[in-house]
Amino acid sequence: MKRALAGWVVTIVVAAATVIAAGAQSRQSYAPPKTADGQPDLQGIWQVLNTSAAWNLEPHTASWGVPAGLGVIADPPDRMIPYQPAAMARKRENFQNRDAADPLAKCYKPGVPRLTYLPFPFQIVQSPQLVTIFYEYIHNYRTIHLNRATHLEGIDFWNGDSIGHWEGNTLVVDVANFNDETWFDRAGNFHSDALHVVERYTRTDANTITYEAAIEDPKVFTRPWKMSLPLVLHREPNFRLLEYECQAYAEDAAKESKK
Amino acid sequence: MKHAMAMVSLAAVLVHPQLSSAAQAGQARRTTQTAQPPDLSGYWLGSYCVGLQNIETAKGVIVEPASGKIPYRPEMAAKAKDNTANHMADEPELHCFMSGVPHVMYVQFGFQIIQSRQSVAMAWDFMNAYRIIPTDGRPHIPAAIKLFQGDSVGRWEGTTLVVDTTNQNDRTWLDTTGNFHSDAIHVVERFTLADANTIRYEATIEDPNTFTGPWKVTETFRRIAKPDYEQLEFACVEGNRDLQHYTEQAGGTAKSQPR
Repeated sequence: MKRALAGWVVTIVVAAATVIAAGAQSRQSYAPPKTADGQPDLQGIWQVLNTSAAWNLEPHTASWGVPAGLGVIADPPDRMIPYQPAAMARKRENFQNRDAADPLAKCYKPGVPRLTYLPFPFQIVQSPQLVTIFYEYIHNYRTIHLNRATHLEGIDFWNGDSIGHWEGNTLVVDVANFNDETWFDRAGNFHSDALHVVERYTRTDANTITYEAAIEDPKVFTRPWKMSLPLVLHREPNFRLLEYECQAYAEDAAKESKK
Repeated sequence: MKHAMAMVSLAAVLVHPQLSSAAQAGQARRTTQTAQPPDLSGYWLGSYCVGLQNIETAKGVIVEPASGKIPYRPEMAAKAKDNTANHMADEPELHCFMSGVPHVMYVQFGFQIIQSRQSVAMAWDFMNAYRIIPTDGRPHIPAAIKLFQGDSVGRWEGTTLVVDTTNQNDRTWLDTTGNFHSDAIHVVERFTLADANTIRYEATIEDPNTFTGPWKVTETFRRIAKPDYEQLEFACVEGNRDLQHYTEQAGGTAKSQPR
């Protein structure tokens, strides 16, 4: 059984790596469909293919309930997050306490980029001024403002403040104004309120968005780093977002355990 | 809804007698929508800036029956009274649950409509709630799935968006006072663009487990025309202190009655 599971995990990871490689090759040649107002069309329901990133962005061995992963960090080359020494100690502490300390265990918003690679689908809807992403996980949605050039001043958000623009066929989203309460994954990888994320969404074939997120946070990391992972289009007929209402299910579980 | 869909298909077949297969009927259904539907996109604000506290005493909400009262079955009227008297700590929004349909159309603050060819998405400030209403002629999801916001499918009748909602759970209330429904609730809403800045709204509610017959509510949404208006993030679970104000006896967390 364990072997079978390991084989399954390897298959997924190899498949993910193949899709990444294919995405990189065809990025220049693929011409995405366009919306009515001429923007590259990213609309549809998407989901991450790599199921291990939500557990740990770094390369890791499997453990109870956690599939192994090659990691999704594209830079630095050792695929490890470049922590400052004090931050590395905090990360280890987070890892030790992860079951209770993970903000998702309290049903808090996941922050950016973690909401992208949770194992739940999300739907992209475009209008000329805005790109809105609706996430199934805790009915979270975020608005990417194409019509605003600067970040709001003096206000922070769990999911940050997102402003976007198009570079060719790539939607580039600059996200700032974070609080320091979200994590990157279940392994306790974290950031401060100085986090700055630049996401790049490129439709590299009809069924794939290649997603990249460049991360910088001078309070926590020694240098900027970057992750890259494919997102896959749901093509099942009549597919739709459902609900994952964490808070309600947590209350149910608490009531159940009192019985 | 099923009846209405069947009628539309039948009409299409009558207009195009050469069409017989189901796939062709689907195509014909689209061609019967000759007029371009109006664009409801934008930011909208209803009349209840503080939220709908009591659907019966709020003036002009219930238009049918003429009494303005919910036509509860006798034992269900008693349950609504009991909710108000003894179960206010169960009030769903207090627990950060989404409000359900049609209650979500009466919550505090504004909402946004993003309309595309395939769907009409609605996104609220309050609770970060959203609904994505497909207008592509798809059927409802299987009855086994229950959702806080239900499953909505929409169609255009001339300039009116008609939305049929099923699959709601029984965990939402119709207001914040204890008026309630079962998971058999079925809602048909009509959104009509009365002028460029006004949407007339009505919803017909039926639930044979709870009510003696269908009843109807109305509301008017006005466009928020400020050019730089935006919806910001709404964090509920993350800062929720409401249950501290209810005693343990009432379902809250306070040891004694807070002042």
